[in-house]
Amino acid sequence: MADEEGYLAVSGERITLQRRHHSASCREFLVRCPRLQLRSLSAVTCSVWLVAYGLFVLCQNSVVLSAAIFVTLIGLLVYLHFVKIDQESLLIVGSLGIQMTSSYASGKESTTFIEMNKVKDVVINEAIYMQKVIYYLCILLQDPVEPHVVSEVVPLFQSSKPRLDCLVEVYKSCQEILEQNKKS
Amino acid sequence: MACRRGGNHKHCLSTTSPSISNCHKLPSCSSRTHNICMVSDFFYPNMGGVESHIYQLSQCLIERGHKVIIITHAYEDRKGIRYLTNGLKVYYLPLRVMYNQSTATTLFHSMPLLRYIFVRERVTIVHAHSSFSAMAHDALFHAKTMQLRTVFTDHSLFGFADVSSVLTNKLLTVSLCDTNHIICVSYTSKENTVLRATLDPKIVSVIPNAVDPTDFTPDPSRRDNSTITIVVVSRLVYRKGIDLLSGIIPDLCQKYPNLHFIVGGEGPKRIVLEEVRERYQLHDRVRLLGALEHQDVRNVLVQGHIFLNTSLTEAFCMAIVEAASCGLQVVSTKVGGIPEVLPDNLIILCDPSVKSLCNGLEKAISHLKSGSLLSPEIIHSQVKTFYTWRNVAERTEKVYDRVAGEIVLPMGKRLDRLISHCGPVTGCIFALLSVISFLFLMFLRWLTPDYLIDAAIDATGPYGAWTQQYFRKKRETLNSNS
Repeated sequence: MADEEGYLAVSGERITLQRRHHSASCREFLVRCPRLQLRSLSAVTCSVWLVAYGLFVLCQNSVVLSAAIFVTLIGLLVYLHFVKIDQESLLIVGSLGIQMTSSYASGKESTTFIEMNKVKDVVINEAIYMQKVIYYLCILLQDPVEPHVVSEVVPLFQSSKPRLDCLVEVYKSCQEILEQNKKS
Repeated sequence: MACRRGGNHKHCLSTTSPSISNCHKLPSCSSRTHNICMVSDFFYPNMGGVESHIYQLSQCLIERGHKVIIITHAYEDRKGIRYLTNGLKVYYLPLRVMYNQSTATTLFHSMPLLRYIFVRERVTIVHAHSSFSAMAHDALFHAKTMQLRTVFTDHSLFGFADVSSVLTNKLLTVSLCDTNHIICVSYTSKENTVLRATLDPKIVSVIPNAVDPTDFTPDPSRRDNSTITIVVVSRLVYRKGIDLLSGIIPDLCQKYPNLHFIVGGEGPKRIVLEEVRERYQLHDRVRLLGALEHQDVRNVLVQGHIFLNTSLTEAFCMAIVEAASCGLQVVSTKVGGIPEVLPDNLIILCDPSVKSLCNGLEKAISHLKSGSLLSPEIIHSQVKTFYTWRNVAERTEKVYDRVAGEIVLPMGKRLDRLISHCGPVTGCIFALLSVISFLFLMFLRWLTPDYLIDAAIDATGPYGAWTQQYFRKKRETLNSNS
């Protein structure tokens, strides 16, 4: 069972939220960012090469041109492998825990898992980010020694940054599962 | 946008009015609620008069059904967004502090964040505090560019002669010439501000500060009646006239063997008092307490019989009201707005000189010895009615209502006003700056259009998460009672 809806990110990009209901206490949320656009890729490449060509005309040294080619290639690789995240997912299993996965454009995946007994709550918080004030979803981890103290805050969907309406959807589903868990 | 806002108002009134008619204790909602944004560099955890003024005023405005947020700069690790009592939301913005807790101003670097906050909180009135605060002036400037209504409260008096005053006065002229309304804390302060900023006195209102009378109650049992104790609570700086105090102490101590001084506060002039204490061997009679927390002030005040204030300049002296509220006889210098603060039977006014202050204190001591002083309870019950925050909030609300009906100067008129009002050179410079800020705003609107900014969830005001809870709770208790 899966349904998909379009939302906006804080930056104004279109993102999609996919919800999969595996069972009553197991849900998965996938936030998909737009893929790398050919337009922006060619714009960046063109500008780097034009600057390099300008420098070449000025100093008549062809090393500049070859350097520009390498810079674009390596830059693109690094960007795809370490920076650009295509998809972020949140898998919440009532009795087990919460797993966050982010998949990079190159196919690399990084996964973090948090056990349910460490999770205190899932909340929406506000933060000042760059020159903006945004809402974000985060997991509160409880201190193992004192259960009332929040030891750490783990932000979710860090790269896609969905807007509040999308966050509220995810938040409500998460709370349902956490409620069930508390009752049992 | 405007019509949507108007619709909101009608809607919100219809939702809140039944709850109000149910509970009698709640103050009635005014005909119109505002989204108010207080801006100042000075707010808690920093301590002082401006800080407590902003806090108390905000609390009372929330109680009256308005939405209030506060913007200030980050204090060490306290940055981001915090909620205080009753859902008062405070933004601690990460801006660099320059001097004396005031932020650096380039006039533009704070604009993206401030604009974002004004839009997401749907602010309608920007209320800036204190002329020392660069952030307050920045916010006023941006708010005017964004066509929001502006109110400014001035908390201090200034001179006209020295270089720094001339510069700040010029800045104030520029900042206030197109502000909708200005609030001063006393008539002296109003006169001063009108002259400094060459304003039309019609747009300047006087709303005094207030004290919380429940915090400052008399307790005569704490006094030692075998001696006479004079209390001084102030920052130990030149402006507070500590040099006068250092002249008074040895004179009076020689005359009255059972006279004691308690001095609360910290500052660069402490060394002067320590010298005096050393030279005249008064260690057992002059106690220097150092910096006091606000909640300790009352405990110090109630130990004394007479309160002495030696300020050289003061817009509105909170300290003497607090002291009178604790039932002390007040002796003070006759400067600034002090003469209008308390009625003549509660205060002895003197010229700011050692001789005159000594005469005033001797008069107070002779009153005390003859027993003709009013009892602390009587003084307290009198003072209690003078200055309350509810009254301040009510009067401030009237200013907001008036401002909400006014128009904000459009760009062209604003430029005219700046050039005609602030002199040819400064006027032109600031007209240019306001054009740049307008273009910058256009750029920001292009970069992140208003519709991409999430409207924040109200903590206070007619839709507020906190206030609705409060209303509901009140209703439940009333229902269970009846």
